[in-house]
Amino acid sequence: MSGGEAALFWVVAPLMVLGGIGLLFAKKAVHAALCMALIMVCLGITYFAQQAPFLGGVQIFVYTGAVMMLFLFVLMLVGVDSSDSLIETIKGQRVAAALLGLGLVIVLAAALAGVRFGQPAGLDTVNAEGNIGALAGGIFGTYVFAFEVTGALLITAALGAMILAHRERLVPKPTQRELAERRIREGAVKAPLPAPGVFARHNAVDTPALLPDGTPSELSVSRVLTARGQMRPTSERAGEVSTVLAEMQDPFDLTPDESAGKAEDR
Amino acid sequence: MSLLAQGVLAAENPVADFGNDNGWVVFGKALFIFVFLVLLTLLTIWGERRVVARMQSRPGPNRVGPFGLIQGLADGVKLALKEDVIPKAVDKLVFVLAPIISAITCFVAFSVIPFGPAARIPFTDIVTPLQLTDLPVAVLFVLAVAAVGVYGIVLAGWSSGSTYPLLGGLRSSAQVISYEIAMGLALISVFLYAGSMSTSSIVAAQEHGVVREIFGLDLTMPAWFAVQLPVAFVIYVIAMVGETNRAPFDLPEAEGELVGGFHTEYSSLKFALFFLAEYINMITVSAIATTLFLGGWRAPWPLSAIGGGMLNEGWWPMLWFIGKLLGFIFFFIWLRGTLPRLRYDQFMRFGWKVLIPVALVWIVAVACWRAANSATIAADGTTRIVLIAVGIALLFAIFGALITGIDRADRRDAARHETPPDEVDPFAGGFPVPPLPGQRLIRSNGIGNGRDDDARRPALAAAGEADEEVHGG
Amino acid sequence: MSPYVPILVLAAIAAAFAVFSIGAGALAGPKRYNRAKLDAYECGIEPTPQAAGGGRFPIKYYLVAMLFIVFDIESVFLIPFAVAFDRLGLFALIEMVLFIATVFVAYAYVWRRGGLEWD
Repeated sequence: MSGGEAALFWVVAPLMVLGGIGLLFAKKAVHAALCMALIMVCLGITYFAQQAPFLGGVQIFVYTGAVMMLFLFVLMLVGVDSSDSLIETIKGQRVAAALLGLGLVIVLAAALAGVRFGQPAGLDTVNAEGNIGALAGGIFGTYVFAFEVTGALLITAALGAMILAHRERLVPKPTQRELAERRIREGAVKAPLPAPGVFARHNAVDTPALLPDGTPSELSVSRVLTARGQMRPTSERAGEVSTVLAEMQDPFDLTPDESAGKAEDR
Repeated sequence: MSLLAQGVLAAENPVADFGNDNGWVVFGKALFIFVFLVLLTLLTIWGERRVVARMQSRPGPNRVGPFGLIQGLADGVKLALKEDVIPKAVDKLVFVLAPIISAITCFVAFSVIPFGPAARIPFTDIVTPLQLTDLPVAVLFVLAVAAVGVYGIVLAGWSSGSTYPLLGGLRSSAQVISYEIAMGLALISVFLYAGSMSTSSIVAAQEHGVVREIFGLDLTMPAWFAVQLPVAFVIYVIAMVGETNRAPFDLPEAEGELVGGFHTEYSSLKFALFFLAEYINMITVSAIATTLFLGGWRAPWPLSAIGGGMLNEGWWPMLWFIGKLLGFIFFFIWLRGTLPRLRYDQFMRFGWKVLIPVALVWIVAVACWRAANSATIAADGTTRIVLIAVGIALLFAIFGALITGIDRADRRDAARHETPPDEVDPFAGGFPVPPLPGQRLIRSNGIGNGRDDDARRPALAAAGEADEEVHGG
Repeated sequence: MSPYVPILVLAAIAAAFAVFSIGAGALAGPKRYNRAKLDAYECGIEPTPQAAGGGRFPIKYYLVAMLFIVFDIESVFLIPFAVAFDRLGLFALIEMVLFIATVFVAYAYVWRRGGLEWD
């Protein structure tokens, strides 16, 4: 390890450890995912430093770019604010998990203890054709079967994603024209909905418009606001309505009964 | 320690030699790139507003400085003096981190772009390539950095704690990743021809055209990859517009649907950083297009022949490089002044159903063609003919599929809009409708509720008596 | 000198600029407290108490992300193939055509099932 590489390692490695700790202790799932992305980027940087530029580029391109993006999307699918439930739903789950974890540690320890390194060939020999060329020789020569099987794995991935996330359409999607025609047939409001606040004494979107006869039009206020109960109640406006009516001096000569009927029609 | 030292012979390694660079040279070059990008961004903002204004027959900004040149700077200062609002609902850490990620990644991606060949720095003896650095995986590096840059968008949208930024960030990232695939696939055929991913080697590969014997004539193929690999070039140009969220693919900031997109809640210089990043990304993809497809810093054809290639040496190449870059930027602005915005489903359909399959088939076709022309791969004549046949068949498949696809879409559209009848009764449906162009109005009693038949008869009668065709206007 | 040092230098300049901008923006701009200003702007009316669907993404995007990975990995394999093409020979070309065809099966399946429709 040369001086520069060592310095880089001692900068990047603690960052990765911090990222790992952050991943465990972050309260929000997205923060944890970000710590993970940090680890991925740092790992890519160490690959670069260890003279594996292609691997480093791919690490950042695929893992940070694609896999972590998928991870973020999944988190946001689940809901960013959902917290983990600590109730044991399967009986004996924790004990089983602890035992299996212990088993994994034993297997890993046994496997790692048995590792013997051969004589290293050296970077110059391996990368004689260049780093990418050497990798290409491996992928398309020695490991050709694994490479082709990866293709099959990708099919599985696409299949799984379709099954999990795709909702089959049973009827063809209605076009804009069909939607418009349906609206006319169903006798919905044909003209554009009245704008809020028109003829009223406010220009806010939560204020219903006044119809020519002086009644407030519920249609003029966004359904969302009505559902949330944020629409200004029409009763509150009764006084103003009478003022407006007085100002207009009832030019349309409408009796109160008729106007009430009209409002219900809509 | 140097990568260059260990594998000089490998074709994939950069041809530029950075051996003479000391710390000061590197710092100077990095600073130059930084200043260049910031200045070019200010100039691009000004140019965009002026050019689009000219296209729309209005003057554009012309008050601040000569021709309004420092309008961009004035806007920047204005933003700096505005209050930096951090809304209550945001996730503060991520909210601040997002513009920083965007800004860093957009600058870093430019580090492998070659501005020119080796040149002597004025007033010194140092000869150094006009390029910050180069890697054997330079283009992959740019793609990787762009992939990290998407985080800026996603995180800005998420951390704002507000509906429209979330949707804008989501759209934006889905768009960027979709078009990043088409972009990466378009670049593959360039790697195939250049035999390298290093930017300086790719420029070097476009130095001489390939001489090919066709029907007994020695024809020099043009050296630019845009000419040698036209389909890849077209795919790249489309994908780079989608990747940078520019018109007509600027859906993430479709004001009518999403307010300002992912940066709705940002203000002051944090907003300015996103703005800067957007423009620098535009410059970066243009620089990549220049380097990979238009011969990089090499002088265009008639100029390259002057004085035995003297215009390809020293500091001249920087002029050609910046000229080509500005050409692409003008193209971006021109697109914005010309094309309307696509709908989201149209945009995704185009990316996934047209660009990606065409790019894949193109790669196979190019590989077959290349193999057929390689003495080592296609040693005997039969293999050669088979490979050429496969390549040409695939090319025909691309164009055939595209043409039939367009044709089918046209026919579907035609079927959907059935021809209207010649005569129309405006009250047939009980609701008065105006006639379409070319339709004649006819009289009828209507099937209305009959309450106000008398009231509307005069109008209809007048229309019917005139009995003239209504002409569309 | 390692070819990565210049990248780090440029990244450092960019980072310093970004952090300086954010700091300067916070210092140079006025600060006038206003409760309404600190509310999310959203789209001009009173904001939803929580981002759409509790801050959740529509599941549609999962499919896009997954397909992105599939093609991303495909292009990662294509890169060494393209770079070393002249040395690899005919066998590698056939391998790659097989691989692309395999991934195309996945692609065709998703297309046929309507996974690429956006509605």
